[in-house]
Amino acid sequence: MELFSYSLRKLATGVPLVIGVTLVSFLLMVYFGPDKTFELVGKNPTQEQIDEVRAQLGYDQPMVVRYAGYLREIVTFDFGSSDSTGEPISSILARTVPISLAVALPGFVLGNVLGVLLGLLAAFYRGAWPDKLIMGSAAIGMSISFLIVIIGFQILLSSSSGLNLFPVRGWSMDSFGEYVSYVTVPTLATVFVALGYNTRFYRSVIVEETTRDHVRTARAFGVPSLQLYCKLILKNCLIPIITRIMFSIPFVVISGSLLIESYFGIPGIGKITYDAIITGDQPILKAVVALTAIMLVLVQLLTDIMYRWVDPRVSLK
Amino acid sequence: MQLLLLLLVFLLAACGNEQGEDADTAGLRVYHHSSDGAPTSLDPVQSATLYANLIVVNAYDTLYSYKYLERPYALKPNLAAAMPEVSEDGLSYTIRLKRGVRFIDDPAFADGIGREVTAADVAYSILRHFDPESRPQGAWLWQGRVAGLEEWKAAGSDYDQPASGLEIVDRYTLRIRLLNPYPQLLYTLAMGYSGVVPREAVERYGREFGLKPVGSGPFRVVSYDTEKLIFEPNADWRWQRVDLAAEGFDPETQGFTGIAALDGQMPPFVDRFEISFIKESAARWNSFTKGNEIQYAGVPVELADREGRVLASKDPVKLIPEYAELYQVRSDIEAGFVYSAFNMDMEFGSDPDPEQNERNRALRCAMIKGFDWERRNDSFYLNLGVVFPGVIPPVVPEFDPDAPRDSVTRDVAGARRLLAQHGWTAEALPAMVYGTVGSVRSRQFYEQFRAWMMEIGFPREKIVLREYATFGDLNKQWRESQLPLISAGWGLDYPDAENTLQLFYGPNKAPGSNSSNYNNPEYNALFEQAAIMLPSPERTAIYRRMNQMLVDDCVAITGLSRTRIGVWHREVLMYPDNSIVGGFFFPFVALADENGLRLAAEPAPEVN
Repeated sequence: MELFSYSLRKLATGVPLVIGVTLVSFLLMVYFGPDKTFELVGKNPTQEQIDEVRAQLGYDQPMVVRYAGYLREIVTFDFGSSDSTGEPISSILARTVPISLAVALPGFVLGNVLGVLLGLLAAFYRGAWPDKLIMGSAAIGMSISFLIVIIGFQILLSSSSGLNLFPVRGWSMDSFGEYVSYVTVPTLATVFVALGYNTRFYRSVIVEETTRDHVRTARAFGVPSLQLYCKLILKNCLIPIITRIMFSIPFVVISGSLLIESYFGIPGIGKITYDAIITGDQPILKAVVALTAIMLVLVQLLTDIMYRWVDPRVSLK
Repeated sequence: MQLLLLLLVFLLAACGNEQGEDADTAGLRVYHHSSDGAPTSLDPVQSATLYANLIVVNAYDTLYSYKYLERPYALKPNLAAAMPEVSEDGLSYTIRLKRGVRFIDDPAFADGIGREVTAADVAYSILRHFDPESRPQGAWLWQGRVAGLEEWKAAGSDYDQPASGLEIVDRYTLRIRLLNPYPQLLYTLAMGYSGVVPREAVERYGREFGLKPVGSGPFRVVSYDTEKLIFEPNADWRWQRVDLAAEGFDPETQGFTGIAALDGQMPPFVDRFEISFIKESAARWNSFTKGNEIQYAGVPVELADREGRVLASKDPVKLIPEYAELYQVRSDIEAGFVYSAFNMDMEFGSDPDPEQNERNRALRCAMIKGFDWERRNDSFYLNLGVVFPGVIPPVVPEFDPDAPRDSVTRDVAGARRLLAQHGWTAEALPAMVYGTVGSVRSRQFYEQFRAWMMEIGFPREKIVLREYATFGDLNKQWRESQLPLISAGWGLDYPDAENTLQLFYGPNKAPGSNSSNYNNPEYNALFEQAAIMLPSPERTAIYRRMNQMLVDDCVAITGLSRTRIGVWHREVLMYPDNSIVGGFFFPFVALADENGLRLAAEPAPEVN
């Protein structure tokens, strides 16, 4: 009951957040985004044709009317059709979000799991050469541009001048083997870059925990190091770890990765969102922004519940 | 740790199927094409880009098409049974369709079976360009040319009402009535815009029709997304034995491709045609050289520019031996050109005061003299582009190879002299806003341009960069006549210089294609005079005179036709041409192996 009422309260307070995010993004789209009209009218339009298309796109409507329509779309989950292709937004999302998820999830999971493990290792050997090696590698991973990493991995692992082990481009999930074949290089590229950021963050969280009194006490009582780190320290670090992971989820699920999808030829939501941004395809942008905001609200709620599960002292009030 | 990681990578690699072939395509003849851009819609009324046009002319039938190999480009009947019967006054074109041509099967039709294509379908397809609901992009081709279309639109775009200029004489005969002679009409009927569509499918699929092509062309779309499109041959299409002579085959220039083996053979020569849309040149090149992915690509500029890396030489274009063994190469002048036009409605342009007008002209001429086309060609186009004066590019028959080249020859002293003679001091010079898309290459264009203008006397701060986040934003500025210089490219819609001369025809001013807003009554009169003339030496003379007027008035810094270098795997037999006028090569693409041409086990039935 407590959980239910808390959830309702939390969702209710999320409504202003969603409205705020959608309003700001809508204003940005309308006032600063590209004008879709001129892409749709072709090479040699007349003013009449331009006006017709503007009317069809709703550009001649007052801002308030347009935003009210946007809110209606959010409530009904019907964002219409893409201005570019005519495909219903729901169909685009249903087709592309699972693909982006299938691409991003392995890298996301691996990046965080390995980040925690390497962070633990670095914290355990704090100051010694393993710590320096891990942190140095993390710094390198963070310094190299993601684009360079992608091209480098593509050449190294996929191209005929490299190891030629994987496809350069393409996507298929018809079988597990095909899926592994296409997802491996994108995953490795993602992990290579994300691991640096994750490792540094988790190491600092773990190191901070090791300075606590209860850890010193446990050491004094002779608790073995493995048990100390994995049970005591790691458990107490779960709250910031959960926070970081949970708040990344909306962007993994909805936003996709433009670079990964472009370079590896993966028909995910990332590239579609990018194309929508540069061409001003507002129905797609509105859907992506709204869904990301809604997911953030849901993630906040889930995170709070997970806090309670991890730390019973947390009260959902 | 590293050993474990390496083992993991090899294990994962082993998990994957053999790349490039899966259970669905094993044993099939699959050709993997690539394009450096993607279409956003496959609806013929929205096929403005060459990416869309390439797909549309293969998924749909057009009345006419271009011969596969003949250069200069030449039309031939496609859906039309023959070339049209044209009335003596040139105002009436009677076109008879081939009989028995069917749309592909689709749930839009009764019992899901594609019905026969009729003259009514052709009329419907053109009328859609005058229905705002279609968001058409090709109305300009027929507006003011074909009778009754604007009236039909004004009356509410009711498809159940006829348009006077599109008379359905009988089930297979369409008569097009023109307001004035229109020599380019047949070219427009070979463009993707004129792809013939069935009304049932358009009404059933609505806005989604652009994703679900239902045509009668040589290919049907099996799947389509942002990364790839898959075609399969339309088994019901009117495949005929290849007659290379009829297609304009020139053994001397085209024999290297191996397509002579196709002569007399029965297409289709592929069972599946996959087109990958790859904008990133590095990814495209890696996929091409991998060997079992895409089989056609362009050579990235950064690789082509370094001799010995991919190209053994640029003139003539030759691959290094390692690549020459594996790939064919073809370099071709584009059907189009790049140029920069002055906005004649702004400070540098026309002025009602004759003296100021002349001063402005001198300023424009000085800027043209200051522009270094040779350097631009070398810096950005591998020194392979063809620089020419005016706006009649080399690929059209009206091109004049002997035209004076003063306007494309750099003359810094002459530029400075012009500015001095007309009082254009550093203080008097107006600021020139250089609008462009925000990209590295655009920035480089700007910096080069600024350096040249500084050499002729422009203060650095008077060549002002204004960057736009997207091409859409920049295009809007052009259409709304907000920028003094329009640096653009133009791809030919048809091989007739009228298509480029119309870029400066007064009534086409912004938001139309005449972004420079040039409005010279004499030029306009000549354009209108030539517009109703069939190709002839007289018409060519008028075109060239108009071209010279543009040069004399210093309306634009023009121009350069880029040279495209395409490479493809040797087992592919084709003569590719990805321009708007060249997209009809798909049905002739063939694959060979060590035994020669790979033919179908069961050839398609021949249709006469």
